[in-house]
Amino acid sequence: MRALCWNGVNDLRVETVADPEILNPKDVILKVRLTTTCGSDLHLIDGLIPTMREGDVLGHEFMGEIVDVGRDVTKVKRGDRVVVPSFIACGQCWYCAHDLYSLCDTSHPKPELQEPLLGYPTAGIYAYSHAFGGYAGSHADYVRVPFADTDCFVVPDGLADEDALFISDAAPTGFMGADFCNIQRGDVIAVWGCGGVGLMAQQSAMILGAERVIAIDQYPERLAVAEAFGAIPIDFTKVDVVDALKELTAGRGPDACIDAVGMEAAGTGLQGAYDRVKQALYMETDRGTALRQAMLAVRKGGTLSILGVYGLMDKFPLGLLMNKGVTVRTAQQHGQAYVPRLLEHALRGELKPAALATHRFSLEDSPKGYHMFKHKEDGCLRAVFAP
Amino acid sequence: MALDASARAAVTVGRPTGELRSLWLDPATQSRIWAHFADVTPLDDRTFDWVARGPAGGEYRWRTEVADAVSDDVRWSAMEGADVPNTGLLMFRPAPGDRGTELHLDVRFDPPGGAVGEAISKLFHIAPAEIARKALYRFRALALTGEIPTTEPQPAARNGGTDR
Repeated sequence: MRALCWNGVNDLRVETVADPEILNPKDVILKVRLTTTCGSDLHLIDGLIPTMREGDVLGHEFMGEIVDVGRDVTKVKRGDRVVVPSFIACGQCWYCAHDLYSLCDTSHPKPELQEPLLGYPTAGIYAYSHAFGGYAGSHADYVRVPFADTDCFVVPDGLADEDALFISDAAPTGFMGADFCNIQRGDVIAVWGCGGVGLMAQQSAMILGAERVIAIDQYPERLAVAEAFGAIPIDFTKVDVVDALKELTAGRGPDACIDAVGMEAAGTGLQGAYDRVKQALYMETDRGTALRQAMLAVRKGGTLSILGVYGLMDKFPLGLLMNKGVTVRTAQQHGQAYVPRLLEHALRGELKPAALATHRFSLEDSPKGYHMFKHKEDGCLRAVFAP
Repeated sequence: MALDASARAAVTVGRPTGELRSLWLDPATQSRIWAHFADVTPLDDRTFDWVARGPAGGEYRWRTEVADAVSDDVRWSAMEGADVPNTGLLMFRPAPGDRGTELHLDVRFDPPGGAVGEAISKLFHIAPAEIARKALYRFRALALTGEIPTTEPQPAARNGGTDR
């Protein structure tokens, strides 16, 4: 089959590789219908995450059709059109039983690579370095999906592939971030980042009853999408974000702040320059401008919900959280807990994931798609590949 | 025997002791959970041939026998003539609340010469604690899901790919 392979820092090529096969009894093989870029792929491509190996097939956000099933698969069948969360979860362990699917105890084949970094192994994930399991990714004609009964969700008739696609990752990640905010009547939610996850977090906060949602970014086209969905846009290059948020909340501050940016935050001023230099010298993996702003802006006793992907950032003002009594919630997405209701929200038009699909490419042109996505050319929110 | 205290590990598995003990004693289980470290071939219900792989093609062989049970604990030891004499002990303890059963595994090696932990790492190309921990992780996966997670023979990287 054809697949998009990582060959080294910023070296992506579409190559012919072996087709995946059923390896365990609960596996299925998916014919990939759509697969998309994610901001977190850029960390891998740029070499900020160790334990990538040459030849790794990229892609962790996808949907497709089941073409082969293992002998112990009972809930899905050949021919089903399904969406699959990025984290591989067994559905049987203590963590899965508590809806903490991205922390699954049994799906990581190489825990010895990850345990020294995190203390414990997490769930395995498609195409996210060998420290996260070394599973082959979805930017390919076919992908192997373990634990299909837990991880494959049938897409209802009437929901387009492009809507279902983002219910693999951007939508459940964003929804989880809003869910973490425990939104009450009258709450104002501020979201840093208007990429795929940020936009989904904003829509989710509205679904969950936020009084007002504020969207923070620097790209006019992204802020325009957020505004079209009903959020109040703030361009952080034009105004002081914390001042603007205080003004919009009459001095209270947002009840919850969601960081949907992560380690490659673009910053302004001295702190931004300092972070850029440290990251470039590999002295730290993260530039935390958005996170620092959110910590300052969130109201006393509020919630900070962190969705942005971080490495080992070791310098941030913890005292802000402590003195303000802030609750911090964070996780990689527990998608399996949210996908069924997200499919319903999308079917009813309350959630509009397909709006993220600004650019479409064949698999053969996927390196071009990543280039556009990385440099945000032509207002590219997400590049979608159709193998 | 010079004992290496570091070849210990523990996991908690959300299943009752009896079920886990039966699964552990199933000869087929032994072949599967130690595969990261050695080829284990059952000869009967309690006797196993082990072939551990070292770097540069080295092979170390021994035969183990499981001792008569005097409690829920499972004990085994290498018989005379082992390339690397060793013993193993698996203890089951109830976990708090609804968390199931704690498994405490202690595998001890007596390699010929040298500081024990370091010698084992060189002999087998894997740290002793990792031998035990990975076996328990594989066992936990098998007990909970009926399978052991793997990407072999289809790792994401092409064969011979190196870490970057």
